[in-house]
Amino acid sequence: MSIHAKSGCLIAGALFLSMAVSAQKVKFTEYDLDNGLHVILHQDKSAPVVAVSVMYHVGSKNETTGLTGFAHFFEHLLFEGSKNIKRGDFMKIVSAGGGSNNANTTQDRTFYYEEFPSNQFKLGLWLESERMMHPVINEIGVNTQREVVKEEKRMNVDNRPYGHLLEEVFKRLFVKHPYRWVPIGSMEDINRAKLTQFQDFFKKFYVPGNAVLSIAGDINLDSAKTWIGDYFAAIPGGPKVTQPAIQEAPITKEIVDTAYDANIQLPGIITAYRTPAENTHDAVVLDMISSILSGGASSRLYKELVDEKKTALEVVSFNYALEDYGAYLTFALPNGNTSLDSLLTDINANIEDLQNNLISEKDYQKLLNQAEMRFVQANNKDLGIAENLANGYTFFNKNTNHINEELQEIRSVTREEIRDVARKFLNPNQRVVLYYLPKGK
Amino acid sequence: MRKIILLAASALLVSGSFAQTINRTHPPKPGPAPEIKLDNPAVFQLKNGIKVLVVENHKVPSISASYFVYTGPIKEGEKAGVMNLMGGMLNEGTQTMSKAAFDQAAEQDGTSINLNSSGGYISALNRYFEKGLSLLADGLQNPAMQQAAFDKLKSQSLSGLKIAEKSINTIAQNVTGALAYGKTSPLGEFETSASIKSIQLADVKSYYNKYITPSSGYLTIVGDIQPKEAQKLAEKYFANWKGASVTVAKVLPVDNPAKTEIDLVDVPTAVQSVINVTNVISLPLDSKDYFAALIANQILGGGADAYLFKDLREKHGYTYGAYSSIAGGIHQTRFNASASVRNAVTDSSVLLLLDNIQKLRSEKVSEDLLKDTKAVFNGNFALGTENPSRIAGFARNIMIYNLPEDYYRNYLQKINAVTAADVQRVAGKYFNHDNTRIVIAGKADSILPGLKKLGFPVKLYDNDANPVLVSDINQGPTASAETIINHYLSAIGGKEHLAKIKSIAGTGNMKIQTMEIPFITKKMAPNLELMEMSMNGKVVSKSVFDGKAGYQEQMGQKKAFEPGSDEIKKYGDMKGVFEQAFYQDGSYKLATGKTTKINGSDAYQLSVTGASGNKSVEYYDVKSGLLVQSESTVTSNGQTMTMRSAYSDYKKVGDVLLPYNQTLTVSSAAGEQVLEMVYTDFKLNEGVSAEDFK
Repeated sequence: MSIHAKSGCLIAGALFLSMAVSAQKVKFTEYDLDNGLHVILHQDKSAPVVAVSVMYHVGSKNETTGLTGFAHFFEHLLFEGSKNIKRGDFMKIVSAGGGSNNANTTQDRTFYYEEFPSNQFKLGLWLESERMMHPVINEIGVNTQREVVKEEKRMNVDNRPYGHLLEEVFKRLFVKHPYRWVPIGSMEDINRAKLTQFQDFFKKFYVPGNAVLSIAGDINLDSAKTWIGDYFAAIPGGPKVTQPAIQEAPITKEIVDTAYDANIQLPGIITAYRTPAENTHDAVVLDMISSILSGGASSRLYKELVDEKKTALEVVSFNYALEDYGAYLTFALPNGNTSLDSLLTDINANIEDLQNNLISEKDYQKLLNQAEMRFVQANNKDLGIAENLANGYTFFNKNTNHINEELQEIRSVTREEIRDVARKFLNPNQRVVLYYLPKGK
Repeated sequence: MRKIILLAASALLVSGSFAQTINRTHPPKPGPAPEIKLDNPAVFQLKNGIKVLVVENHKVPSISASYFVYTGPIKEGEKAGVMNLMGGMLNEGTQTMSKAAFDQAAEQDGTSINLNSSGGYISALNRYFEKGLSLLADGLQNPAMQQAAFDKLKSQSLSGLKIAEKSINTIAQNVTGALAYGKTSPLGEFETSASIKSIQLADVKSYYNKYITPSSGYLTIVGDIQPKEAQKLAEKYFANWKGASVTVAKVLPVDNPAKTEIDLVDVPTAVQSVINVTNVISLPLDSKDYFAALIANQILGGGADAYLFKDLREKHGYTYGAYSSIAGGIHQTRFNASASVRNAVTDSSVLLLLDNIQKLRSEKVSEDLLKDTKAVFNGNFALGTENPSRIAGFARNIMIYNLPEDYYRNYLQKINAVTAADVQRVAGKYFNHDNTRIVIAGKADSILPGLKKLGFPVKLYDNDANPVLVSDINQGPTASAETIINHYLSAIGGKEHLAKIKSIAGTGNMKIQTMEIPFITKKMAPNLELMEMSMNGKVVSKSVFDGKAGYQEQMGQKKAFEPGSDEIKKYGDMKGVFEQAFYQDGSYKLATGKTTKINGSDAYQLSVTGASGNKSVEYYDVKSGLLVQSESTVTSNGQTMTMRSAYSDYKKVGDVLLPYNQTLTVSSAAGEQVLEMVYTDFKLNEGVSAEDFK
């Protein structure tokens, strides 16, 4: 054990406390309703708060060409009201209940949630069950939200420096898989989307069997189960949802390209490697590699490029892990007159080092400490716990307990595996190199 | 009766067979309101004056500590940005540890640490907390302050400003603050490349000595720790620190404009305008108006159920979100209502923002709305109990702002006592309508004409919040349409020569980014046109019009121009190879506009509307008379695109001048594409027949 301890007492304390950590387990109960809805309950009475969430297993990867951005657009429509909630009243009811709510859409899933003082738990159940049972999806809602979504895209993508970066990367990294477009979609497709298509989309994907109701907070488990039955059991089950199974041929030759952005003065360089799905062991190892390379000021890339050579203003790398594939990305912005190619050379050298040399025992210990800290921070709020539990069930082979096994799995990774995974996935002939440049006037 | 069924159901646990018994048509009633416990943190003072606040919370095995010096607003003047640089320097190692060793020491344990211009923060697993706290103390008390590190941060800061200078949100934020408070106020100043360049290491050290000190210092420790242990550690690492004493400077209050005005910053690349409607206010936290102002702001723009969101987003679809904000404080603060909206609805959105402000000022809110709004505050107060550090923040505010001891314990009581009359009164007092400032960052040539029609004075500013002279932008027309057209026709060869030309065939290469694609173009009087692009000898794109109909073909996919489409209209208006020769035949509407600079030279603007209603805007060089640019808008698939053609490199072909370079810029909301067409050869009256246009 190589802790920088000032006294033996600290070491003893550390041992004691690391046992306490393993005791910090997220407890939950789970079951299915007859209509297929999966329910997860986590009780935490430390604050009078409850998070009610529904994760639908549908995202932009369930879209088809010509209708990109559809899943996200649809997310907006489900705030428009239901049989028993007048148009515009959804937000009003949440506010009047003293709560807050929102939703977000990724490539793989759409996540809706409310946070309420715990005496409004039933209200949260009612809102989510109304949304699942009989939302009102009509022309006026579609046309209004069409404009809203377009403004969202203008604000978050088109008007924002580096806003098109992920889109430019993914459309080169994927050829056939719907990951080749990003959840916000294209303006043309957003313009094209029709009411009937939305109604069909709802029937196909927003069925109880394709959803997880995940609840965390100050609840009584028995009455929670009763109320959930009251509100959700009457929703008819629907057809089974089939997720796309699209295989990409491996990238065997480096793809070098250029993209332009009118909102920047400073160019950037990106490398992107296609990596395995998030539920694989390799994805866990790639996460650890990103910590070594750019997790914090003492990480290898940050220390070398930003602090020592002073050639980069910023350098980050991370494994953008998704259900079917991932993308390992590195991104660097030059400082002063540094060329993009010299940044690329240094990034390459650091990856090669991981492929050729084992990381030190000390670096390995650091990885475990960082992972433990991340785990602690990810699970200190009810909403975070509700989402992490639903994630486990949806994306890790129905293993809701994944939340409690993550640390274990990280600890099982060896230094040799880190080297081998870098060798297997992070080679120049497996990647896209994208020069992201300012657009001249 | 329902109660009994529910009880029975809960005995059966999972069963859902009682679903029919509930009434879905109304929201369920809440249970009894939960009791909100508002404990006090443990508070004690170190001998050097630092106040220590400790919140014990054992939910997860981690502890955080933050140090904060209350300095009030600090004037940096010409050295704006010096405080940020100083804060950055605190992360660059200490007198006994290099930066690399310092970062490594923290991160080895998974501890995150960050120091800044008002203190610093660490968060650690509980077994590593003491070491983390010792690093925080060392960074604050003994920073290395080396020249090399300073040079690095300064150059990074200058590079970073390059990003910020292009960001419309940064521009809007900088200019809004500067105009509202004055550019020389500590509340209105912002950093620029020039101000950063002027900062030296000695400046940073001097600000460090003044503002990073135990005086006015608050150390907050939250997490899995006993107060006694926290006190011991605070004493050990912070009690012996000595430093200058901080005095909070007074900031002189400023006035709002006497009459509402629009302050516009041109961001030529913008696809959305950022609008801030803002006025300065004086609203101390213990003012009798404070709680009513919070409620009024919540009703106007506090969230998704507020006036602004419901009107601008849900009713009109102009924006992703419209909100307002208000803050209380010792110094002046701002009321601000804002939205990011697409260019075309900028002026309409300004009116909607103002209308909603006026609505709150002139109409009493309903009791229901007031009740629902109070529920938001009551709910948020309960939700806040999830955050253990909140009570430390409350306690610190009470000390810093000299608030009554029971300020937060009575918070909800004060909220719940606000009346509809209070809301209307404070809206009238703090949310200006006739004397406010509307700051807009956006694409001036798209939005200025609409803004001018609103009837408010429009002032132009640059990114640094300096006024821009109006004469730079608009000089007014100085030539008639007739003069412009005749000058052009004689410049390219004269009417007689032009009349003899019945066809033009051109060849060249088109540059798209780094690719070069060969193309040919053919034109034949009156309005036949063809353009073909090929790659590796194969035609990949073709666009053709035979006088009556036409189509576009790409990669073998053919699409005919639809009747009534913009393409058909455009060709219908064309009467010859040189269109300008027919502009004065009475079927075109011509209007001159402002004179603008194109490529650094003055150019006349001429807008031309054909019989079909199809419109284009053309620019003719004042000196040479040549056409230098034309713009038109095309709607296709419901999407509007602006096409801008720039013409240059005019060379003589036979008796006429033709532009060998035509650069086409296609802009849509999705972005901009530039196609540069470079001609290598033109042929007049040869090599073209009607057959070519099939």
